[in-house]
Amino acid sequence: MNVFSLLAPLIILEAVLAIVALIAWFKTDETNGPRWLWLVIILLIQIIGPILFFIFGRRQQ
Amino acid sequence: MQWRTIYRKEMLEYWRNFSWIWVPIVFIILAIMDPITSYYLPIIIDNVGGLPEGASVEIPEVNPTDALMMSLSEFSMFGVLVIIFITMGLIAGERKSGVAELILVKPVHYATYISSKWAAKLTLVLTSYIIGLFASWYYVNLLFGNIAFSALVQTIGFYGLWFVLVLTITVFFSCLFKSSGVVLGSTIGTLLLMFSIYNIFSHVLTWFPNSLSSHIREMLQTGSVPNALWGTSFITVGSSLILLIVAYVIFQKKEVA
Repeated sequence: MNVFSLLAPLIILEAVLAIVALIAWFKTDETNGPRWLWLVIILLIQIIGPILFFIFGRRQQ
Repeated sequence: MQWRTIYRKEMLEYWRNFSWIWVPIVFIILAIMDPITSYYLPIIIDNVGGLPEGASVEIPEVNPTDALMMSLSEFSMFGVLVIIFITMGLIAGERKSGVAELILVKPVHYATYISSKWAAKLTLVLTSYIIGLFASWYYVNLLFGNIAFSALVQTIGFYGLWFVLVLTITVFFSCLFKSSGVVLGSTIGTLLLMFSIYNIFSHVLTWFPNSLSSHIREMLQTGSVPNALWGTSFITVGSSLILLIVAYVIFQKKEVA
């Protein structure tokens, strides 16, 4: 089995995670900490960045 | 009736804050990362290089059981952390923001409130975990060798109990304290305490909840469910139920007072 078809699901999942985090970022008016910083974190840190945003980035209510 | 209303309100919230998308994805990534990495380890070492001329690295053969257990050990570390992070504000956050008061001034029973929220979070966590383990199973079968479907279902059933306990501990502290940070600290503290107790007394405590994964490994290797696994499951489910009831009693006393 070639490397690409094995890793494709992983890459797709990573991309979906980042895209969903971006959508959530657009919809959030107030974030914990500066808003632009979260954008940088989501875009630059693989996997961990979006997860951090989902857990800590959004302010409750 | 009320129970279902709160349950569905929670479900709606998980859709709105994208939990139903990101939590399953995180569990899938956690589950498949280690089996894939260890499969490609020889290639990675070749490409990264840096080894002196003539050095040879012996990489032990990974059997299917070991590969599946890799996913479980990722779950037991990062999976548990994700669960604690998404659950710590479940009740604490609503009490802080005043939503809990809004709900509880209506004739909603405290037990309904706690148990429906607990069940909703459990649905999210267990669904994500099952999807993740199925993904891991797919890769293990592809890369390392066959694991029977029945063995996978047994693994899912027994290891899921550990998540039930972790979630219940978090909900318990979430009922106790208003600050999410305190909930986080005391949950992790409790888990670390259980971990160290188990490490010291593992030879006597064969039914301790922390021993679930070692019993599951035995089950995968021998193909039959060891008695100790039933015992451990019983203890794990029992302590979760007791914790939930104690949480309800304390929460009621606190709110009435």
